[in-house]
Amino acid sequence: MDAFWIIITGFLVASSTGTLGNLLLLRKMSMMGDALSHAVLPGIVIAYLISGSQASLPLLFGAIVTGVLTTFLIQLFSSKGKMQADAAMGTVFTFLFAVGVILATKYAGQADIDADCVLHGELAFVPLEQTVFYGLRAPAAVWTLASLFLFIQLVFWLGYKGWVLTSFNPEYAESVGIRTTLWHYALMAATSVVTVVSFESVGAILVIAFLVVPAATAYLLTKDLRLMLVFVVFQGLLSAVGGYYISDLLDASISGSMAVVSFVLFVISFLLQKKRGLKSPL
Amino acid sequence: MDVLVKYLSLEDPNVRYVVVAIVLLGGMSGIVGGFNYLRKKTLVGETVAHSMLPGVLIAFLLSGVKNAPVMILGAALSGWISICVVDYITQQSKIKGDSALAIVLSSFFGLGIVLLTIIQSSSFSDQSGLDHYIFGNAAAMTPVDSAAFASVTLVVLLLIIANYWSLKAIIINSDYAESIGISRRRMDTLISIITILTISVGIKAVGIVMMSALLIIPPTAARFWTDRLVPMLIISGVFGSLGGWIGAFVSYSQTNMPTGPWTIVSVSVIAFISMLFAPRKGIVYQRWNKLLLRRRINEENLLKAAVQNEVRGKGKRFTRESIKQRQFFEPNLWNRTVARLSSKGLIHRVHGGFTLSTAGRSYGADIDRRHKIWEVYLRRRMQMSVNLVHDEAEAMEHFLTPDIEQEILRELGLCSRFNPILEIHEIVPDPDVV
Repeated sequence: MDAFWIIITGFLVASSTGTLGNLLLLRKMSMMGDALSHAVLPGIVIAYLISGSQASLPLLFGAIVTGVLTTFLIQLFSSKGKMQADAAMGTVFTFLFAVGVILATKYAGQADIDADCVLHGELAFVPLEQTVFYGLRAPAAVWTLASLFLFIQLVFWLGYKGWVLTSFNPEYAESVGIRTTLWHYALMAATSVVTVVSFESVGAILVIAFLVVPAATAYLLTKDLRLMLVFVVFQGLLSAVGGYYISDLLDASISGSMAVVSFVLFVISFLLQKKRGLKSPL
Repeated sequence: MDVLVKYLSLEDPNVRYVVVAIVLLGGMSGIVGGFNYLRKKTLVGETVAHSMLPGVLIAFLLSGVKNAPVMILGAALSGWISICVVDYITQQSKIKGDSALAIVLSSFFGLGIVLLTIIQSSSFSDQSGLDHYIFGNAAAMTPVDSAAFASVTLVVLLLIIANYWSLKAIIINSDYAESIGISRRRMDTLISIITILTISVGIKAVGIVMMSALLIIPPTAARFWTDRLVPMLIISGVFGSLGGWIGAFVSYSQTNMPTGPWTIVSVSVIAFISMLFAPRKGIVYQRWNKLLLRRRINEENLLKAAVQNEVRGKGKRFTRESIKQRQFFEPNLWNRTVARLSSKGLIHRVHGGFTLSTAGRSYGADIDRRHKIWEVYLRRRMQMSVNLVHDEAEAMEHFLTPDIEQEILRELGLCSRFNPILEIHEIVPDPDVV
């Protein structure tokens, strides 16, 4: 049963992050996932310090605030300060990460948090803490991640037209009165939420891996955004199952193994790719 | 204060080791990062730093001991492979550079974590401290580290000096450089080599994130101070060293403060200060300059309007109301502008309004004349419709210098004292309209 829950957790994380990863990839902002997953650290630490527990609501709030702040600072530095866009990103996220580490070391006694756990996460611990909800008994993390999955799917499909327009043709979207900046911030906020909710169980590496690798895999195989999403979810399932059994075999980190399996899937699709660009479905 | 003196004197050997090493590392990364920054590959360092983990661990697995040179070799090889994979992905598929970096970063790092956990769960005796390759351990730097940093710095500098002109050409204009026979590929490879060298020796001391921060932030800050290559590299190196020095000081003077993160915060603060206050490129300077320009344009517009009023026989006295037709001023703007002009002695306050002083009249007339000259130029040389030239000239009149003015008159074959009373669109009917 433990295996089942671990695979389900991995799958839920993979498909939630992958959904947003599609949009990041199409907007050529994949490194933004890496930046955000580092930059939310101070938000997490401060939320831990204030709430004194690992309760999820303040944590989510902290994540959204730091995520939006990161995006805002990067935007500010590159437009007002005339920094190169990638340099602005690099400066902001390393700075915020350092602030997070300093806060975590300073208040190490008060906050139950260490950099190690943030980075690796531990999928093996997922089944330990079980909650009963509507008569169903499942690990707490599974409940959280399932709601996250639903939330992200809702965000994606309700805003589908907006996402497509602002990703494929931002100038056109702007000209018909769509607030592209607002969509940009919404995507960044959603990415921060996903990062923070997922990192606790799977660690930051798997979040980055699943933000970009499945989307890139799907991008090489299809030119339909909806089909891309299906591929992403399917790849999430494959790497969750594959990763779990490999880690069982080698006695290694589950999330790391999942990242490796998903890279292997990427390599396969790289060999099968059609060299065509993705067209806007609208 | 006492602490600072003790820190400055470097009498404590532990402090000395850490400070010397981190100052060297900061300087080296600042210089190397400068090249990455200028080739717009700032985030390559981040990917390479993450991708070194599997190489380090494989080197450990193969040799079975924590032997620094072997592990540095492993790190360098693995970093090199990661760069090759990124290049291969971008060349062979439609995936863009940014995504390729993220893919390689997360996959290599995931592999590294798998290897790390395999090592941890097996019975290697010498395995403690392997996670320093992720988080760093700046406080434990020794003279051996300093020696390694110093020799790598030397090698890097030699490589840069030996290829200085080619590197400079590629950075400034890579298409031109290619056309005169400099290989872009070779220079980019060279930059990759010095980047990998730097990261592979530095990563154990300061960890992944700080290594990429040291490569990214100092050049970003340095770019605000200069447009020249060598000064920028030097400033970048100095900022990196300074950040390391301050970081080490904070960690020394406060208990339980990590050196690495404080170094990042220090260089970031240097970058923020540069962005705000650097001469010419800083935000404050640019804002101030814009304000001065706006003020000058308002003053010149006011003087010009007053001169035009005089020329058209509307009397020497002018008020906000009387020049409203030519140039509209908000009451507040009007008050500020006339106050500045009076204090400069360009206008005088008289009963019921203002008059121009001699200097003010000649200044206003200059602006008015430049406006007319530019209109004629646009009409004759650019064949612009006469009802369009006025708006163009409204902007240009503030930027023409006496030299350019004479040049234009010569070009148009006009007398150097050309000074018509009316503007061109007041004399020539618009042919398009007719």
